[in-house]
Amino acid sequence: MIEVASLTKTFSLSRKQKRELGGGRNNSSVDALRDISFTCKPGRVFALLGPNGAGKTTALRIIATMLQPTSGTVRVCDLDTGRDPHLVRSCLGVLTGQTGLYDRLTPTEMVRYFADLNGMDRDHFEQRRRHLFERLDMEDFADRRIGRLSTGMRQKVSIARTVIHAPEVIVFDEPTAGLDAVTSRNIVQLVRDSREAGKTIIFSTHRMGEVDQLSDDVAIVHKGALLYNGTYSDFKTGMQAPTLEDEFVRLIEEVDR
Amino acid sequence: MRVTITIFLKELKDTLRDRRTLFAMILAPILVFPVMITLSVNLMKSQVKKAEDKVLRIGLESAGNAADIRDSLLARSDMRVVEDLDVDRMKHLIQTDSLDAALVFSSDFDTQIESHHEGSVQLLHKSAEAFSTARTKLRELLSAYERRVVSARFKDLRVDEAITSAMEIQHVDISTRQEKFGKVIGGFLPYIFVLFCFMGCMYPAIDLGAGEKERGTLETLLSSPATRMQILLGKFGVIVLTGITSAIVSVLGLYASVRLAVQLPPMIQEMVSGLLQISSLLMVISLLVPLTIFFAALLLSFSIYARSFKEAQSIISPLTLLIIIPVFIGLIPGIKLNGVTALIPILNVSLASREILSGTISYPLLAEVYASLIVLAAAGLTGCAKWFGREQTIFRST
Repeated sequence: MIEVASLTKTFSLSRKQKRELGGGRNNSSVDALRDISFTCKPGRVFALLGPNGAGKTTALRIIATMLQPTSGTVRVCDLDTGRDPHLVRSCLGVLTGQTGLYDRLTPTEMVRYFADLNGMDRDHFEQRRRHLFERLDMEDFADRRIGRLSTGMRQKVSIARTVIHAPEVIVFDEPTAGLDAVTSRNIVQLVRDSREAGKTIIFSTHRMGEVDQLSDDVAIVHKGALLYNGTYSDFKTGMQAPTLEDEFVRLIEEVDR
Repeated sequence: MRVTITIFLKELKDTLRDRRTLFAMILAPILVFPVMITLSVNLMKSQVKKAEDKVLRIGLESAGNAADIRDSLLARSDMRVVEDLDVDRMKHLIQTDSLDAALVFSSDFDTQIESHHEGSVQLLHKSAEAFSTARTKLRELLSAYERRVVSARFKDLRVDEAITSAMEIQHVDISTRQEKFGKVIGGFLPYIFVLFCFMGCMYPAIDLGAGEKERGTLETLLSSPATRMQILLGKFGVIVLTGITSAIVSVLGLYASVRLAVQLPPMIQEMVSGLLQISSLLMVISLLVPLTIFFAALLLSFSIYARSFKEAQSIISPLTLLIIIPVFIGLIPGIKLNGVTALIPILNVSLASREILSGTISYPLLAEVYASLIVLAAAGLTGCAKWFGREQTIFRST
């Protein structure tokens, strides 16, 4: 379970950023998130939808305890992210579009490294590794250097690394960005499997197709503010535009106006 | 601690699999001394031989004087005498390397010598010449002539030549051989050790900081249960280890090349071997440990700040100059280890190493150097930890 309540995140601007944002701007900070609240429940997939720069990654980084909120609270697995960040990270698996792999390690070494960081004992690790490598069809390249693997193979390693410790909550930050349709299917399958296993899943995207394919609940963020928060079926029912994409654009433009 | 060790071991494995790091950490430092010594000894030998074998072209303007000297010059097989040139022409020919040197006798040279006065002779040469063989040989020839003339004058006067000497000064150098050579070579060695220490740290620091950021692995690592301090210490340990290894390997390279170099003159071999005593080397390495911790902290801080490997390289490369300056100051004669210089980072290591290798280290000053380095290392580590904890550093976008 993830519970986000009145979350605000303000970033100080560097001199260069202030310059880029235009003259006459006196503000020395920018609100990446403004008082947003939502809940992701176990056994459901929560989609965080928004255009580039909306604040999706910031929200996910706060959930993953990489960033501290300016105000508001975030609870993951019934733990406060501010108070027990490293316990929170123990029940989390994070997967980003960048595979985040070490090219000079082998898939086995990579996955073992994260199992060790999560305090898994050898037997448990070996059992999980065998299960995951078999399931993801990774045995053939398990001992090859990651740097020599194809994008699809790397994505599989990344998945195995994310779920080796069987986390209760899985965070996906634009997981299919830059991937082809075949490779993206691994991710889609992982999301489905995790939902079936009763995990809490949150993923960020700006692709409506992915939302339609995977999500149970959806939140739309734009310029740090929450424009919609509810079930995906309610969102579809209340649509004022003919397609999902049109409705998404309509909501964004309404704010911009 | 378990998590820190896990990170350390993984980073070490990752680093050791990187050819560029291995080159900077082991291959470059181990090869530099053997290559440098072999090359310089062989080059020096061949240059000396070339200079010795060369037939020197000597200009001579005697104006009918100094027949003895002229005959001596003409009789030599290693010299070819060119006569009948005016002084300006000879100067021009020396300048353009067509002549190696020239002798110009005054027109009254013989008269002056015969009347027991000083005969004047000019030795034209280029001091910029590497070996000055022509000048040396001509000076020897002129000195021999002068000795003969002076001796004959004393004989004419029936005076014992020994009367010109009233006192014999005996120079008794009480410095030990280690001390004598330690002051010379001992200043150069820390320069190499400090530089290798820094260079050994540089590449892993860039790879483990900016490199991880660029590849997206830092974010993955930050999402694991490891705390930032554990991550930092794991990386830090590897950077310090590579820096120290690099310095030790360079010492071993020097030791081996001196022990095994067959071409090295025995005196130099004995002199350097005397300097490189295990106890002294261990003491120098112990000075390098806190310095390397400081280097690692400094480099990792810059590396973490950078957004990419390339940016980190461009920030860090100029730092090499900052490291060289204090070490270079340590090479200046007269700069000594004292209460003040013992507190100046890098310079204190350079000066203390020189004193250690010479066997003249003052232990209270050495303690001051250690204390100053430990404070520096602790400050560096604390600063790096704070820097690593900042969101603006880790997730810096512009």
